[in-house]
Amino acid sequence: MSWLDRQSFLGPNSNEVLGALTVGIVGLGGGGSHVAQQLAHVGVGGFIVVDPDSITDTNLNRLVGGTRADVAANAPKVDIAERVIKAVNPAARIIKRCCVWQAADDALKQCDIVIAALDNVRAKHELDAFTRRFMIPLIDMGMDVHDVGGGSYLVAGQVILTGPGEPCLQCLGIVTAPGLTEEAANYGSAGGNPQVVWPNGVLASTAVGLFMQVVVPWNRRPITSAFLEYDGNRHTIAEADVLRRRAGTRCPHYSPKDVGDPMFDIRKLAAAPVRSPEQPPVLKQPWWRRLLSQVRPRARQVDGSDVVG
Amino acid sequence: MKITIKIMRALLIAVRQDLARPHAWAHERVGFLIATAAEQSGNLLVTVSDYHVVADTDYERSDAVGAQIGPDAMRKATQAAYRPARSLWHVHTHGGSGTPGFSGVDLRSASEFVPGFLHPIPKMPHGLLVLSDDSAAGLCWTRTDSRPVSVSNFVSVGTPFSRDWGVYELA
Repeated sequence: MSWLDRQSFLGPNSNEVLGALTVGIVGLGGGGSHVAQQLAHVGVGGFIVVDPDSITDTNLNRLVGGTRADVAANAPKVDIAERVIKAVNPAARIIKRCCVWQAADDALKQCDIVIAALDNVRAKHELDAFTRRFMIPLIDMGMDVHDVGGGSYLVAGQVILTGPGEPCLQCLGIVTAPGLTEEAANYGSAGGNPQVVWPNGVLASTAVGLFMQVVVPWNRRPITSAFLEYDGNRHTIAEADVLRRRAGTRCPHYSPKDVGDPMFDIRKLAAAPVRSPEQPPVLKQPWWRRLLSQVRPRARQVDGSDVVG
Repeated sequence: MKITIKIMRALLIAVRQDLARPHAWAHERVGFLIATAAEQSGNLLVTVSDYHVVADTDYERSDAVGAQIGPDAMRKATQAAYRPARSLWHVHTHGGSGTPGFSGVDLRSASEFVPGFLHPIPKMPHGLLVLSDDSAAGLCWTRTDSRPVSVSNFVSVGTPFSRDWGVYELA
């Protein structure tokens, strides 16, 4: 008997497949902490967990695994994720990076898939570009609570599966020029958006479901991209129209052939000393980020024409 | 140095289909994967972006080997990878299942022509791949004066995601 026997419908080699994978989890708050726990339960063997923050008391309403003792100790979220994963699977291989994901890019390149729970449009935009460069499928989650007036709120969110050759976060309207502009204008302002545990859990479970469908499919419906919208007031998840409308069209923002490091030179790698994985990352801006900063996303106007944002 | 090579699943299927096509006189087909590369914590990540088909007319008649391609085929492949600099991987298939092995002919001929790609395209590693129907093996040359390194990981990106260029077996 194995602890994974009850999921044998995932295929005769599914335990080995899952155990060999390395999954990046970027953002370990309400969404990412759920994902870390679930991936440990399904038997994923390798994790690269990235988050710059430590837990605070306002995280206790949703951060899976977080305790009051962690708040008192100002525990980094990556340490809490490691503890949760190891409690389920002590053999898990975990690389922790307590920093913004852009400073953990070297570790993240090793990932087979990245699951992102970021609350920052700029970071989503850059992660989308990064994962495409290195041919890493990306599952992105997002949740918001909107004040619709009259004392009512709409709880909503989405989970997106994308990757090389598939519609990107700009195509799908997650990253927009106005969104980036508004975020930049509010940079540094205090206060957090409303976040609660149950929509985080629904979205994280949906993300893990998409992940499992990609790596250990249990039916013959291949899935390479998805845009699932969550309506937390109706408690429904539905496929978004925007992905259906884009079926058969190419992403105009990224070419599937623009992969790898354009500055790469094997002569330098062959001569360079090997960096230890435990060595702290060098905090310099990588080439792909310098390149991306020169490319501004295009916003689509109501009349359908493109404008530079 | 560990070497990982990644390819989109759809492209891998197209490569296998091309290599399976019969040829008028050659017993098998060969092709070239065109790739870029990146460092991955001191290791090498090769990302395949394209496939270069060898034209029917560039095969030479030979009873000694399964497929013999002429200088034109090599020139065209090198040209396809020259600007911007790309990594070239000679690929053919042995069919069957399981991890394929290189024949003596594969190794002898590759040790002559693959390091030759490093002269016009010294920025990139180059290599030799052999496929089976559900797996692959590879050797990578990073310098002209050193022995090739085996490819450690073969990742195909798509659904199902695979770490051995194989097929996923449903329960």
